[in-house]
Amino acid sequence: MTRWAIVADLNRCVGCQTCTAACKHANNTAPDVQWRKVLDFETGEFPDVRRAFVPVGCMHCEEPSCMDVCPSTATFKREDGIVGINYDICLGCAYCAVSCPYQARFRVDEPAAAFGKNLRMRHETKREDPARLSVAQKCTLCVDRIDEGLAAGLTPGVDMAATPACVASCISGALAMGDLDDPESNVSRLLREKRHFRMHEELGNGPGFHYLYDGDIANHEPIEPAPMEAEPVGLAAVSPKLQKNWDWRAAANFTFGGTGTGLFAAAMVAGLFAPVVWLAVFFGLAFTGAGLFCVWLEIGRPWRFLNVFRNPRTSWMSREAIAAIPFFGLGGLSWLLGAPALGWLAAACGLFFLYCQARILRAAKGIPAWRQPGIVPLIVATGLTEGVGLWTVAATLWGAVAGVAPAPLTAAALALAVLIGLRALAWRNYRAALGNTGAPTPVFAILDSPRAALFALPQAGLAALALLAPVVPAGLGAPLLALAGLGAALSGWLFKYTLITKAAYNQGYALERMPARGAGLSAPGIKPGWAKA
Amino acid sequence: MKDHSGSVTESVSSYCFQCVSGPDLMKVDVIDGVPVQIRPNGSAASIHPAHGKVCVKAFGLIQKTNNPHRITTPMIRTNPKKGRDQDPGWREATWDEALDLICGKLREVQAKGLKDESGFARVAASFGGGGTSTQYMGTFPAFLKAWGVVDMSFGSGQGVKCYHSEHLYGEFWHRAFTVSPDTPMVEMVISFGANVEASGGVCGVRRHADARDRGVKKVQVEPHLSVTGGCSSQWVPIRPKTDPAFMFAMVHVLLHEVDRGRLDIPFLKDRSSSPYLVAPNGFYLRDPETRKPLLWDLNRGAAVPYDTPDTDPAIEGEFTVSGIEIGADDMEWSHDGVAVRPAFVHLVEHVKPYSPEWAAEICDVKAEVIRQTALDFLHHAHVGETVDINGHEMPFRPVAISLGKTVSNGWGGYECAWARTLMAVLIGGLEVPGGTLGTTVRLNRPADNRWSSVVPGQDGFMNYPMNRTRKGEWESHPNARHGHQSLIPLAANSPWSQALGPTHLAWMAQAEGFEHMPKPTAPDVWFVYRTNPAISFWDTRAVGEAMAKFPFTVCFAYTLDETNHTADVLLPECTDLEGLQLIRIGGSKYVEQFWEHQGFALRDPAAKPMGDSRDFTWIATQIAKGTGLLGAYNKAISGGAAGVRLFGENFDFSLDPETEHSVEDIWDRSCRAASAELTDGAETEGLDYFREHGFRTKPFPKERWYLYPVMVEQGLRFELPYQERLLRIGQELGARLHEAGITWWDSQLREYEAMPHYQDLPGLWEGAQERQFNVKIEDYPFWLLTARSMQYSWGGNAGLQMIREVASNVAGHGGVVMNPAAARKLGVSEGERVEISSPVGRTEGAVILRNGIRPDVLLMIGQFDHWKTPFAKDLKTPSMNGLMPMSLELTDATGSGSDLVKVAVKKIGGRK
Repeated sequence: MTRWAIVADLNRCVGCQTCTAACKHANNTAPDVQWRKVLDFETGEFPDVRRAFVPVGCMHCEEPSCMDVCPSTATFKREDGIVGINYDICLGCAYCAVSCPYQARFRVDEPAAAFGKNLRMRHETKREDPARLSVAQKCTLCVDRIDEGLAAGLTPGVDMAATPACVASCISGALAMGDLDDPESNVSRLLREKRHFRMHEELGNGPGFHYLYDGDIANHEPIEPAPMEAEPVGLAAVSPKLQKNWDWRAAANFTFGGTGTGLFAAAMVAGLFAPVVWLAVFFGLAFTGAGLFCVWLEIGRPWRFLNVFRNPRTSWMSREAIAAIPFFGLGGLSWLLGAPALGWLAAACGLFFLYCQARILRAAKGIPAWRQPGIVPLIVATGLTEGVGLWTVAATLWGAVAGVAPAPLTAAALALAVLIGLRALAWRNYRAALGNTGAPTPVFAILDSPRAALFALPQAGLAALALLAPVVPAGLGAPLLALAGLGAALSGWLFKYTLITKAAYNQGYALERMPARGAGLSAPGIKPGWAKA
Repeated sequence: MKDHSGSVTESVSSYCFQCVSGPDLMKVDVIDGVPVQIRPNGSAASIHPAHGKVCVKAFGLIQKTNNPHRITTPMIRTNPKKGRDQDPGWREATWDEALDLICGKLREVQAKGLKDESGFARVAASFGGGGTSTQYMGTFPAFLKAWGVVDMSFGSGQGVKCYHSEHLYGEFWHRAFTVSPDTPMVEMVISFGANVEASGGVCGVRRHADARDRGVKKVQVEPHLSVTGGCSSQWVPIRPKTDPAFMFAMVHVLLHEVDRGRLDIPFLKDRSSSPYLVAPNGFYLRDPETRKPLLWDLNRGAAVPYDTPDTDPAIEGEFTVSGIEIGADDMEWSHDGVAVRPAFVHLVEHVKPYSPEWAAEICDVKAEVIRQTALDFLHHAHVGETVDINGHEMPFRPVAISLGKTVSNGWGGYECAWARTLMAVLIGGLEVPGGTLGTTVRLNRPADNRWSSVVPGQDGFMNYPMNRTRKGEWESHPNARHGHQSLIPLAANSPWSQALGPTHLAWMAQAEGFEHMPKPTAPDVWFVYRTNPAISFWDTRAVGEAMAKFPFTVCFAYTLDETNHTADVLLPECTDLEGLQLIRIGGSKYVEQFWEHQGFALRDPAAKPMGDSRDFTWIATQIAKGTGLLGAYNKAISGGAAGVRLFGENFDFSLDPETEHSVEDIWDRSCRAASAELTDGAETEGLDYFREHGFRTKPFPKERWYLYPVMVEQGLRFELPYQERLLRIGQELGARLHEAGITWWDSQLREYEAMPHYQDLPGLWEGAQERQFNVKIEDYPFWLLTARSMQYSWGGNAGLQMIREVASNVAGHGGVVMNPAAARKLGVSEGERVEISSPVGRTEGAVILRNGIRPDVLLMIGQFDHWKTPFAKDLKTPSMNGLMPMSLELTDATGSGSDLVKVAVKKIGGRK
């Protein structure tokens, strides 16, 4: 077997960016898209300061989180360890981009024009590749060079023509590439001889990119995790940044989808005790559909949307899409025919849809605020709470129109209050866990601000409002409950919008050890822009 | 080869020589005639020290070639008024029209005489990139040679932004226009601000990485943690411009705190001036008969001329000796039984006050750090060990000291260059394996061969072509406007010397002139190529105003820029990837470029010229023809002015003098001559061979990296530690200048010491700033420094998007680097825009916080402040050049200044 891997010797690297430029040439990447680049780290305070340069890019992981989440199966891993993308089936959803903890993936929607659209250079038009527009792209490990080189009898990592452009161009000899499964390869030898680490080892991706930080492997000691530095000086470029791949359109899917499926389920449950509020059923479907429409607007290749169903084996996005089919089919029929039994089946599918949404975020390994295990109960609870909340609104309206009470007010109020409580509890657990594991520093300020909207006091107020509904004079109870329900829904929406678009800082970069330089010694590394709270 | 688009590509051989750390070999991939990709040249891996790689700058050449902002047709100015605020009113012209205009002006000059009424050359030329422009200007040097006298004194950074003292003193002491550690063998490097990881080219980077891999100890002494500092084992954040104190203290430790026996005594006795006896007036005591310096022979117990066989020279002690002493202008003293001591003893006494404790306060560095650095230097020197290089047994001294910009130029440059070279001498590490090497000869001849340039001179030292200072020989009417022949003896009088004079004086003189020097004049015709002094020099406002008064400027133009804004004609020449040229590679040249091979490489056009751009060789031929100089031009090419002599012992590819030869014909003949030169005439393949192979080399013996064997063979000594010759020359120069009534160069004369004394350089800078501009220095609390960037330096590539993009990954680009403690005091934060001002100018930029910088220092990488160059003008990147005063007071005796100024910082609001 073969396992291609890259070894970067941090003692040798000078941060010159020749590899960055060579990669841009070899792969014709767009302006400001860098499949390979070299980071500039600094640790310590004057006068005891160190500086290190760290090449990064796609790590061609053993367990690529980008591949598992990909709904279209566009992302694949070859037997030799190279992770690739089939541009022809990628739908450009960017789920892989938010799931990569190494910020290695990009989506480019416009043809390259370094000096502006009206001044495109002849090499930009000559090398234009429409297949790569609006789909995910990343380092391919220059797979064509490898394959063509092997076919020509060359050895990747040894023969320049068969070696990835970054390695072939590296002027300091810091980058080496070779077969980890070959004990005699250059990379195997380097890893035997020198101390090394992998970035974000704790995330379990098994990156195929190893960093040498010191000589003399005999003295190898376990590396302590890089200390978090909440507000690092001069490290903005390597600190976590807000992801830009998923905007309000993706957030809308989580808000409307959660609400819609929750509303549908609430309507069906309430239907056990009273006539089904078909208005709520309709809105449950409509909300969910609106959410999916919004996210459809966001994907790069919208007419390839059917590819979203291709990877139910590992992708929660595929599963979400698949769940949507019976949800809409059965739910629609149920609404059209007024058939609660079909509605029950649809509700189950809707709840699975909601669960899938929670798991989508959980699997987005590149976003620390999403990947917390506690996000699952929180997203589910939020969807249900929003659903029940809006059901109370729909029921009140329906009651006003139809002149009948759709369900016992007390039961509805209790259900809403309990769900608000459960959501608050899920929030508390999520937030506490996030504080324990640590997260990009700005995340805490954002989640702890009013915009996150799930604070105990207001939530308690909403619950109290709901519980008051049964005891206030008749006629006021339903509107009061609807008010509480609306509040519960709005606060849930605000939370999810904030979570998706504001708290979604990526992993950033960390350096487990500052390298030894020449006769110098290695030193503790840094995880900049991270804190526990 | 197939591109992913399916198009067939071809791969064209070329080279990158954009900086003084080249040349490097590369391949250019071309699709359907469009250059699309740069790749290293793997086939050069076995002959190139960096395995056939090119650095990041080379990758900018694709955008450079295809840049939509290029000027692609000749342009003629229609607005006679010049200046930043004037629209030149460019109109497109044909080549015939443009060349007729230029040749007409040149013929006017020919009719008037090549020199003007002040004795200055009427034609001036400015080329950038530390001489690398030559590697792109085809046969234009042959035209200049055919033309005759040309003034190259309008600098574009030379002297103020180079390693100026190192160039002059290095070449003087050990044929070292550029100095390098013997990086492939070195064990310890102490670097005072040398930013080799950013500016040492691919050979430097590769070799230093190899050195780190084998555990080299590298101490980086500099006020900010540069890329090189980051790659070092230790960073010592020294106070700016106090490096001489640190180095003097190291010398003190070596001479006063360790056993003498740990120094290389045989080297000091036989390869240095240490044993020469110094007479009472500071000049050597000489044998009255031979007039040779005397030394005390311990074998004979008597003073004998330095070259007496079988001596054991004393370097310590005091002896009573008779002899003569020769001072300035042949003044002679006769001494009878006078007590004299060897130069070495004078050195020991000279450095006695300079202890680490003394230096600590000056440098803001702990004494024990300085002491330990010196002791480590000695420890790693391996004094007494030898190594065999191709059958030559030589001392093995794997320690070296490197000097960076601002350390090795301007005041203090002499002290640093002297101390560095002296320390190499003390441990016998000068020009030996592992030690301190020169890599380039520029001022001596032959320039392409360091060994051959070692010619015996007077007193047992190497010859040096000083500008003459003796009465009756001194040049009172220099032909270059900065007056290097009159002011700078060490600048010598060779083709390169003009570029090494005080180039800022040429610009300063345009404004007001200098008393008792010839009246300043503007050149009748000024050629400009690959340089932008309106950005890259100091006091850029004044430089811009001066060039706006030049009557006729011809710019070989790539895009519009700040300098060609004042031009009269713009000529679009083929850029790097479009022109045809053959250059020499290998041997020992430039920064860290000492190879084990030498030969030639071809720059084969990878693309047809964009628009109506023309090959530089074609342009040169047309100008030669249009000025009636075709015969002389062709002869100059045949004689080697374009890089290779076209005839030899058993080959002759000379051009017919009276024929207009095509570009391909000229370079085909050059290729044939190159093949013949490399094979002693056995093979004569031409352009086709080089097009197929890209380069051709033969082995360059490694022992030729070191001067030591040839010094031993010729019985020569390095002229250290004592500078008797400079002492004499300084006195003579002073006399000549005073005879001419010139007193404004008096402070420069104080540099001519036999051994430099420490001077308070920070105080000198602060005082000069106060006096020149009548300001309080307290109002300017920060030292502003600059640093080189691999991405930008020398490339003229600030207008390239890709370069900006990748440079942005390296901290410090695009703003002003500041220590967070200093920023807190000012109340500014990361990304906030500030104004940085000196008494001569202001610039704006975003704050970049880094811990790796002294709190009293600001850093601006590179040179920006463009206002015309497309793309670059929108970068909003600060630049120190407009803040740097041109100051005579801050000009040292070699005519150089340092990138150093005190500045104030003010919040202006807004963010980057």
